[in-house]
Amino acid sequence: MNEDVIAIAGRVQRGETTAVAVAEHALGRIDAMNGELNAFLTVARDEVLEQARKIDAKRARGEALGPLAGVPIALKDALCTRGLRTTCGSKILEHWVPPYDATVVTKLREADALLPGKTNMDEFAMGSSNESSAFGPVKNPRDRARAPGGSSGGSAVAVAAGMTPAALGSDTGGSIRQPASFTGTVGVKPTYGRVSRFGLVAFASSLDQIGPFATDVRGAARVLSVIAGKDERDMTCLAAPVDDFEGACEASVRGLRIGVPEEYFAKGLDPEVEASVRAAIARLEADGCIVKKVHLAHTRHAVATYYVLATAEASSNLARFDGVRYGLRVEPDRRVAGGGVGAGPTKSALRAMYGATRDAGFGAEVKRRILLGTFVLSAGYYDAYYLKAQKVRTLIRRDFDAAFGEVDAIVCPTAPTPAFLLGEKTSDPLSMYLSDVYTLPASLAGLPAISVPCAPTAAGLPVGLQIVAPALREATMFTLASAWEGSTRS
Amino acid sequence: MDLDLDQLRHMAVLAELSLGEDEERRLAVEIGRIVAYVAELEAIDTTSIPPTAHVAGIEPVRSGDGWRADVAKPGLSHDEALAGAPRAEHEGFAVPGFIE
Repeated sequence: MNEDVIAIAGRVQRGETTAVAVAEHALGRIDAMNGELNAFLTVARDEVLEQARKIDAKRARGEALGPLAGVPIALKDALCTRGLRTTCGSKILEHWVPPYDATVVTKLREADALLPGKTNMDEFAMGSSNESSAFGPVKNPRDRARAPGGSSGGSAVAVAAGMTPAALGSDTGGSIRQPASFTGTVGVKPTYGRVSRFGLVAFASSLDQIGPFATDVRGAARVLSVIAGKDERDMTCLAAPVDDFEGACEASVRGLRIGVPEEYFAKGLDPEVEASVRAAIARLEADGCIVKKVHLAHTRHAVATYYVLATAEASSNLARFDGVRYGLRVEPDRRVAGGGVGAGPTKSALRAMYGATRDAGFGAEVKRRILLGTFVLSAGYYDAYYLKAQKVRTLIRRDFDAAFGEVDAIVCPTAPTPAFLLGEKTSDPLSMYLSDVYTLPASLAGLPAISVPCAPTAAGLPVGLQIVAPALREATMFTLASAWEGSTRS
Repeated sequence: MDLDLDQLRHMAVLAELSLGEDEERRLAVEIGRIVAYVAELEAIDTTSIPPTAHVAGIEPVRSGDGWRADVAKPGLSHDEALAGAPRAEHEGFAVPGFIE
């Protein structure tokens, strides 16, 4: 019964199964596997069964069901859910229960989806392995000694392990695509602004974007078609019409021009990943695509650019966690906080509370990024780091603009390696950052991109093919991804 | 490059983080290493290149549709807004004293 999104919705709509039966199956899979994989932080057992009963009652009354009827969709724990705790993978929000739903959650409910729970993630989405979660790492079901990728590792694993056929994640620098690549699932980062961010706990607001994971390309297309579209509560959300993404999955690739950027096949790329991705490109060429070389010369500066801009934005966004309106609060003993020989000027009790709360509530990676972001924005360094990175971001965007003058999409690896071992990169933050080198450029340019599985390594580890399209041309990306997926199944 | 400890402590004050001494020393080394890496940006010629604060070429919702009507809608109730507060008193968020 581990079916895909389209199959489940069809069977529930036609009355061949009930939403309650689907919900019970998903809960059974979660119960059986979550103890070991740690993909879900909160399982909404009663809530999802109640949703399922309502959907079944709606059908019994003869009402039409939505496009995600009875489809279980896991939610990254950065998405606000009314009445259901939302931790963002952090101790500082461990017990926080939002008073409202994110817009994407409202849209999923309106489409009759089932929402069985909230998934584990790197703390505040800051990480590439899910190891910065305050609630322990997620394990990769393909090899449990390995990381599932991050930051949306729990959502990727919920899908990869067959607990839910789809999930939502958020992608700031690769946090959907890289875990999709590591777990052998489909992951989509839409165009910046395609999906409302209202109710997504903010990390880096000029980069954050919500998108789907699914077991297959069409399933991801359907979920995106439900969550996309304008929202008056997010002024960066675009009014552009939402294209027929599912229809695009049926279109021919014949004559599509695909660009292969040489800079993405450089030093540091695992040879097995390279072989797998090049084989996929050759297959697309055999199916009628026109393959061209393109240049994205500033790709090599994407990591530096991203880690200046994203940390700067994060240092500002995370200032809101101060122990006053929500989350953890630690009030230090005044005699300790303010006194002591050589302790410097006495802090007010308010500032001592801020400092103690944030020290206790944030983990090591979050503190590192807040401090780095504070540094690059501080007087004397702003021009050299922050403004400079914003200018290099322009150069990275221009590379894509030039390439898309010649091709309809760009194809490359999603990540330079297959899933690495848990613990392999935790002692060296910079090596962790470099694992995002191929996903960051599209994030900085605001472009849509998908990771779709290609041939695994000899050891059976998944590899992701990344397809990047021009802004708002998700349809082209789905056409290519679906054609590739179809060729692997024929 | 290491960030010197005074610089690190200044950042911690600006970011409202009370760090332990071991943590300060470790973070100064780690952040210094990252700053040394991102310094590669200095060598890139960005003469007359405008900064990107937001991806251009795409306009937010207001330009396509006009501004939405300025109509009052119900928001969170007072109780809902205070429900997540670690301390609420007199129907407001309670904070420790801050007048020196």
